[in-house]
Amino acid sequence: MRTACLRVSELPLAAELRAHPELADRPFAVASSPGPRAELVAVSAEAARRGVRRLTSVAHARAICGDLRLRIASPALEQAARAALLDAALSFSPRAAPAPRAPGAYAAEAAVHLDASGVTSLFSSERGWATALVARAEQLGLPAAVAVASSRSVAHLAARHLAGGDSLVLPPGSEAAFLAPLPIDLLDPDDALAEALTRFGVRTVRDLLTLPRRALAARLGPSVLQLIARARGEETELALPVPPGERLAEAIDLEFPIDRLEPLAFVLRGLLSRLRDRLEARRLACSDLFLVLELEAGGRDARRIGVAAPTLDLRVLMRQTRHALETHPPTAPVVSAALESQGRPVRTDQLDLFRPAGPHPAVLGRTLAELESLCGSGRIGAPEAADDHRPDAFGLRPFQPGRAAAPGPASDPAAPFRTSLAVRALRPPVPADVSVVRGRPERVRSAIANGEVLCLAGPWRTTGGWWSREERFAYDSFDVQTGDGVVARLRFDYVRKAWHIDAVYD
Amino acid sequence: MLRSPSDTARRLDALLRDLGPRLRRGGRPAEPLPRFPTGISDLDRLLDGGFPRGRLSEITGPLSSGRTSLALCLLAQATRAGEVVAVIDAADAFDPASAEAAGALLDRVLWARAPGWREALRSAERLLEARGFALVLLDLPPADPRASAVPAVWLRLVRAAAGTGTALIVLSAQRMAGSSAELAVELRATRAHFTGTPALLQGLEIEAALVRHSSAPIQRSTRVHLHHSAAA
Repeated sequence: MRTACLRVSELPLAAELRAHPELADRPFAVASSPGPRAELVAVSAEAARRGVRRLTSVAHARAICGDLRLRIASPALEQAARAALLDAALSFSPRAAPAPRAPGAYAAEAAVHLDASGVTSLFSSERGWATALVARAEQLGLPAAVAVASSRSVAHLAARHLAGGDSLVLPPGSEAAFLAPLPIDLLDPDDALAEALTRFGVRTVRDLLTLPRRALAARLGPSVLQLIARARGEETELALPVPPGERLAEAIDLEFPIDRLEPLAFVLRGLLSRLRDRLEARRLACSDLFLVLELEAGGRDARRIGVAAPTLDLRVLMRQTRHALETHPPTAPVVSAALESQGRPVRTDQLDLFRPAGPHPAVLGRTLAELESLCGSGRIGAPEAADDHRPDAFGLRPFQPGRAAAPGPASDPAAPFRTSLAVRALRPPVPADVSVVRGRPERVRSAIANGEVLCLAGPWRTTGGWWSREERFAYDSFDVQTGDGVVARLRFDYVRKAWHIDAVYD
Repeated sequence: MLRSPSDTARRLDALLRDLGPRLRRGGRPAEPLPRFPTGISDLDRLLDGGFPRGRLSEITGPLSSGRTSLALCLLAQATRAGEVVAVIDAADAFDPASAEAAGALLDRVLWARAPGWREALRSAERLLEARGFALVLLDLPPADPRASAVPAVWLRLVRAAAGTGTALIVLSAQRMAGSSAELAVELRATRAHFTGTPALLQGLEIEAALVRHSSAPIQRSTRVHLHHSAAA
């Protein structure tokens, strides 16, 4: 079985650059905690060029490089970067699993093992596949390297030998020749074992493999056998592929609390953009968003932002998010933000061959999302006349014209065409001042219809919901024509003891 | 006998007056636009076949003039022909029960309850850009003069509709789009029929007048009877 290892060598650095790409060419470093005595866990290439080193203190680093930009290591960003790396792997292989975290010198790496079997049926070669995988990781903001070999351990070792953006394919049977000249540090021995091997003059993998195993194990303990197995490319652990989850999340810890919408929107735009890229890599679209804002003084603002139809249009998603924040702004300054979305497949309805072409499903999805951002959540859809005695009862269903039933047989062309009289609903019903004589309205005064009642039909009594104080209703309805020519539906509400006009015949 | 230049000019003026709206600039005759029939034969005759596709039209009239019934009639015609339509309801007056009674297939109707006229106009533009909708009905609330005070807005919609095959119809109490409308119909109620014992509302009789047509004579009208289905 062929296996690949997708690896990022400095995850804290990559996670920060992914969220803040403007720092790419500047000297910056990531510290383990705030304060001048904190240790640097990662330094950028520019900072390294100026003499800043890992594991030095912040104060020392600032003394060397005066314009060094400092970021505090963010677990939220690193977790998102690890998830993005896995997403990149899953977009190229159905089986992928994060590599166990390595201690010591490789503690800052993040790696994913993925099944590379049969890739030549889709790509011209394993090299082409690996190059495309590197490009995909780059698109998600991660400078990763890829190595393909016949075992996970060899692929991982080979990937450690590469710089970000490189790829390497070891043909079957060539692993031993590749590993031989490499230093044993790449095998990641613990400190005691590494010191012992160095004392014995074992510096390369070839040196290790030429020594008798039993003698080594007797002298150095059973841990050296694991080292030898890794040097030979033997798998020591079973592969446990991670099932791809459909809920993707991006998060960020803010440098300072934000209490205005514009800077918060800027931060959220970055989160949305990264989330959208990961969903696109997995051939999914963004459905409803779940936004969690951690507030100053321990508060929390969690909300759901509805998206009418799955979409990857950043403009639409951003508009929905801004609308939600403008409508209900956070009650305190925001110190961190997390955005999560349930990925959904992009709509690919096939339209009926015998019906007129409707809107393209992908375009329709984006349009529905835009309309929802303009009109508000829950105000877009296909109407439904509810089976309810309550006046103006209606519902809204998701608009899916591709699944609409075909029209019934055409009506008899010889039958006379009757044009139906419709009503215009008044939402909310308009209050009316009504003069009543012997139980019948005689004169109406309202914002819609005024004057003497010229013609009248009714009343019709409608009641219901008697089992609940909140839901009960009782109306007497009349169809009236008033002196100003308006033909309206007038009703008396027995619960509220008031007259209203709830519809106009038009 | 030679005519004097002033005599020729006078005859030319008279000829131009007689030709009226049938006179068109340019040498090529305009191609007939595909039409969206209402299903009401007298009205379709008045409109030269129906409302033009790919153009903006207006249906105006006060309350109880029948404009909503006419609009739902168009919805029914389109949806029963298998097409997809949209109702942008800035007035929040759309009644699904009435649409169903008129024969519309509600699965093919997209109802957008826009909170204001700005959102309604933007929604209309998005739907026109999406293409595929046979009819976009824009129901505007009454007495909002701001909507009619921005002619550029209507020009944008006209340009968005052009070439799409979508009939954009604006429903309002008074005309909004001015010369941007290809066609405008003004409705007024002539009589409400309350008959029977006990009295029931049987229907409304309305008069539809063609008040604007970019390429045909106007000031023509016809009468339509709207039947109240609950009374049937």
